[in-house]
Amino acid sequence: MTKYILQRLLATVITLFVILTIGFIVIRLMPGSIFEGYDEMTPEMMAQLNAKYNFDKPVIVQYFIYMRNILVHWDWGISLKMNPNVPVWTIVRQKIPVTLYVNLYSLMISLPLGMIAGIAMALKKNSGIDYGISFLVVIFISVPSFVFATGMQYFLAYKFGWFPIIYDVNAVGSAKLHSLVLPILALAFSPIARVARYLRAELAETINSEYMLLARTKGLTYTQATLRHGIRNSLVPLMNIIIPMFTTIMGGSLVVERIFAIPGMGGLMINAINTSDHQVTLATLMFYSFISIITILLVDLSYGIVDPRIRIGGKKAE
Amino acid sequence: MEPILQVKDLTVSFNAYAGTVQAVRGVSFDLNPHETLAIVGESGSGKSVTIKAILGILPKNGRIVNGEIWYQGEDMAKYSESDFYKIRGKKISLVFQDPLSALNPIMKIGKQITEALILSKSIEKSKAKERAIELMEAVGIPDPEIRYDQYPFQFSGGMRQRIVIAIALASNPELLICDEPTTALDVTIQAKILDLINEIKRRQDLSIIFITHDMGVVANMADRICVMYAGKIVEFGTANEIFYEPAHPYTWALLSAMPDLDTKEKLFAIPGAPPNMLVPPKGDAFAARNKYALELDFEEEPPYFKLSDTHYAATWLLHPDAPKVEMPEILKNRIARMIEKEAARDGRQ
Repeated sequence: MTKYILQRLLATVITLFVILTIGFIVIRLMPGSIFEGYDEMTPEMMAQLNAKYNFDKPVIVQYFIYMRNILVHWDWGISLKMNPNVPVWTIVRQKIPVTLYVNLYSLMISLPLGMIAGIAMALKKNSGIDYGISFLVVIFISVPSFVFATGMQYFLAYKFGWFPIIYDVNAVGSAKLHSLVLPILALAFSPIARVARYLRAELAETINSEYMLLARTKGLTYTQATLRHGIRNSLVPLMNIIIPMFTTIMGGSLVVERIFAIPGMGGLMINAINTSDHQVTLATLMFYSFISIITILLVDLSYGIVDPRIRIGGKKAE
Repeated sequence: MEPILQVKDLTVSFNAYAGTVQAVRGVSFDLNPHETLAIVGESGSGKSVTIKAILGILPKNGRIVNGEIWYQGEDMAKYSESDFYKIRGKKISLVFQDPLSALNPIMKIGKQITEALILSKSIEKSKAKERAIELMEAVGIPDPEIRYDQYPFQFSGGMRQRIVIAIALASNPELLICDEPTTALDVTIQAKILDLINEIKRRQDLSIIFITHDMGVVANMADRICVMYAGKIVEFGTANEIFYEPAHPYTWALLSAMPDLDTKEKLFAIPGAPPNMLVPPKGDAFAARNKYALELDFEEEPPYFKLSDTHYAATWLLHPDAPKVEMPEILKNRIARMIEKEAARDGRQ
């Protein structure tokens, strides 16, 4: 298992390196320049600035300078357009916590809620409960999160006044959570529905398996058999969808953060792209890649915990 | 001798989209203490459904339409799900057909054996492991101490079936139902598992209902045999009576279709397929595939004709007015050979 973890960690580092390299090149190829909107600038000024930021050197040299700065000094460059002359890392560091806060909360509430809904549907298959939840599932999956976000913002926040309309930057503790409930919910609806639908299908199949029947013939009640033998077996395939689920949440948060005026990574990324602030774009890209890859890593490692065939089978192959 | 289990006129139907499937149509049999009763028939003859009805584990769309299942002075056909908890795994246990899918792939073997014992509080948690290892030894698992902490995928098919048997025996049941326990195993392992079941039966004084489609397996196991076809028992008798004096054309066909070492002729195959149980045929269900069928067989259902105190068969051929029909030549030769061998074996002893 240790060897497996080390292998996976190494693969993670290599993947991040590849993403950074490709990102660096692709962003250099994007249209737009840092001088856009500064028409009064003379060619001499531009040349000076280019020289200062090494933009006059070949791309490959710029790449090595950029990499060296990150690896040696943890220096992600400086913002040129949004907050001129502020180091990128300083900007990003301020935005990460609130984004993680919203995204992780969404993930954390969507897993248990989705599982409860899925188990309920599978146990009461083809009943009113099943049809009722299935109806909601279809709506939650097909309607994008920003529609829920605006809807809830209008009704729950504006009309009823239960929640703040936009995020209160200065709130802390429970007040902070209170002002983030709506975005968290808006992002969680789709994952809840996905987990529920997936678990229903898996569990409905597991419930009909021979080992469930054996569990009952050896004297377990239906509920005991389902809880002890059904659910854990249905979790193995469920882990597959956690990765796309989390990336969906993060994709949704790009838009939802704007709706609730949350100063997070989503807004930062959009602004950076719009203003051609390449260094910031690249840093936000790396943040999202890092989170996704860590999610994949955690899911891969937890397979081994849930399914002994992967844990012990892997050991044999060493 | 009082039978320990009595099934009377059991009728089981399934609601399907196309209509009602009449899987079991009036099955009756008794199981005497310490005997092995084999129920033999093709796939779809209703043998598995019969035992699922006995254990109360019919699928949700299946129900007992009619009939009684008497066990310990109570009619299990009227049992609710919670009534079955005091029977299933405690008094009556089931050995499954396919050990590869019957064990939970992600639970340790030991836990799967002890789980029910601990949950039903019939054993203390600390003693459960001891009991599991004892059971694993009894079913012939080498190194049970190590095996206890392993997972099903680390066991071979035969070993898994031994575990399934150990689970079935965990709380000392008095009745063991084996649903084609060797079908999924290869032939050399089959013989070992059958020996094991026989040995356990002797040791623990079990009564066994043994379901199979394989006449060759039955020969080594059964005291009495019920032959099932299309949801009905068409012939029942002692093992000797069924093997040496079969009377129903379906039993003839089954026995002729059994491969053996000496038969030189091409192996007999029963023509056609079992009837569609959505619309069970009138009369004798086997008539359409039966070259000895009489006109009456297509119209009226034959009653049981008595051949001996223990041997009955439901075919109009046994009616006094029926034309005299002999069993097929291939089967007659085969029975003659079997009797010869038997005699030779007895002579040598």
